[in-house]
Amino acid sequence: MTAEAGVGRGREGFVLAFVVFMLFAISVAGITGYLVVNSEFELSKYSGQGAEALAVSRAGLERFVAEQIGTVPDTTTFALGNGVATVTTRRLFARDSLTDVYYVRSEGTVDDIFTPGSPARRAVGGYAIHHRRPLAHHAAVIIAADNIEVDNGGEIHGWDYDSPGDCPGGGADDITGAIARVDVDEGSSDDIEGSPDWEIWSGGWTEMTDSVGLRWDILRDPDFPVDHVNSLPNFGSIPADSFPVIRYTGWVFANFSGRGVLIVDGVFDPGPSFSWDGIVLARDVDDIIQGYIDGILVAGFDGPNMYNTVDFRTDVNYHSCEVYRANESLSYMELLPNTVFEVN
Amino acid sequence: MSHAFLVQNRFYSTQTLRTAAQDNVRASTELMAREIRTAMPGGIVVAGARTLTVRSPIAVAVVCARRGGGDRDVFHDGGEAALDTDEVAGVARWDTVLGSWEAANAVWGDIDDSGSDAADECFDNGADTVGIRDWFHWLHFDGGLLSSRPDEGEAVMLFRETTFKIQTSVMDPTTLGIFRAAYGDSLVEFATGVDTTAQFQYRTVGGGYVDTVSAASLTSVDAVRLIADARKPAPTGGAADVLFGWSVNVPIRLAR
Repeated sequence: MTAEAGVGRGREGFVLAFVVFMLFAISVAGITGYLVVNSEFELSKYSGQGAEALAVSRAGLERFVAEQIGTVPDTTTFALGNGVATVTTRRLFARDSLTDVYYVRSEGTVDDIFTPGSPARRAVGGYAIHHRRPLAHHAAVIIAADNIEVDNGGEIHGWDYDSPGDCPGGGADDITGAIARVDVDEGSSDDIEGSPDWEIWSGGWTEMTDSVGLRWDILRDPDFPVDHVNSLPNFGSIPADSFPVIRYTGWVFANFSGRGVLIVDGVFDPGPSFSWDGIVLARDVDDIIQGYIDGILVAGFDGPNMYNTVDFRTDVNYHSCEVYRANESLSYMELLPNTVFEVN
Repeated sequence: MSHAFLVQNRFYSTQTLRTAAQDNVRASTELMAREIRTAMPGGIVVAGARTLTVRSPIAVAVVCARRGGGDRDVFHDGGEAALDTDEVAGVARWDTVLGSWEAANAVWGDIDDSGSDAADECFDNGADTVGIRDWFHWLHFDGGLLSSRPDEGEAVMLFRETTFKIQTSVMDPTTLGIFRAAYGDSLVEFATGVDTTAQFQYRTVGGGYVDTVSAASLTSVDAVRLIADARKPAPTGGAADVLFGWSVNVPIRLAR
């Protein structure tokens, strides 16, 4: 072995050791970099999930309040985005017989498949007014038409046909018989009765629709969930005290019977066999009204009624108990302004 | 070989400083943003380039029964046990006519009122108290505290009032620090190594960001920009300081 060969092997040994060392150093640097990046990723992921849980909880609260109609449930669950919002309610204060104050709490959770037992969890709370029976009992018939005529055996009575024996609160104060924009006529003197028999509201359709206390734009919205759409339930198979909300659209020739809240986003055209217990709300009504209504009829939302004169050949009699029950199906919530806050 | 080690060591040191600087300002702005984001409407009390005082809700409650004098039975989520009472800086009443919060500073001892029958009295007014009796308690409203005492069914807010200040650091006087103080407390430094460019800016409704806002325009502030550039001295002489530019825009959610 020559001296040069010995030196060469020595250099080769140094290079080998240097390369091994550098590989080690690069590996350490790589692992460190990976851990740093992974840590950042995990932090940002959990932070993102927390923010998403907050968004889910807020969305759950807003959706609950917006879609709530009828009896207020204790707990409701919505699947929203990647999370779940659980909404709970508490009644806090009965302001009067028509309105309560509720606490609405929405807890949003977003699961991580790697840590299924500890989802990101955020909660928001807010206070809401619950309008238990929102429709104001102004008259047995309110139509934003120029004229209401009652003849050919028809009658409109604002006297309460119910008594305290029919329901708690039955035998209510008499209400106005009919309200129109310009004139109300009757064939004989007892066709229209009430306290007073009729009133003229010259303020136009806005005065009428604004005063009845309903959110027509929401009730008519096809996306707003109601019990039945364009079909009737089998009234024989639901409890007798159930007064569902039913929405029809278009020109509705109504020749059926039922109870509850009948919403017609179109033209309500009742036939001779029409019979209804509760509340009828219609955007427009036909020029001839037939059948029977034990409750209240309100029409002319969204503008003046399409017919200037509406001829009643039917009986519309105020039954406070039927209206009371149907009205509860229309109850809704309204958030108190600036009361939504993060609970945690 | 030794040169390679030295370069690598310098590189690691710089990276470590850079990481520390980033972490410092990111963490501090996150803490500030959390409190600013939830500021109550009209909750910006002082809006200066280096001083920000903000009120944010601790809890929103509803009066469910009236007692004699200025005592009210209230409900809020979790009850008194859920409150950090040391942080309470005052109480506000929602003015339904003006559509705004009327706020007044008060420490917890001034508005807290002991008593155990709040739940019973709220129950008499229609409250569902099952399982949450401890979530009802009394608050006391002195006659002059607010223009009128809250009535049944009205919302009241317990709020904190926090001051953020950018000034010379106590821990490292060569740089600036970010300080925080709860209502009535002294400033505490919670971020060091902030550059001289650090400041607050404010956006008013329909306007751009400005350094200061007059008292008359405070209610129209709807976003705060936190400019918290970080600066760390270089690890070795002759090298430039480590700088990290950082700013965050924080919309005030409840103000919009």
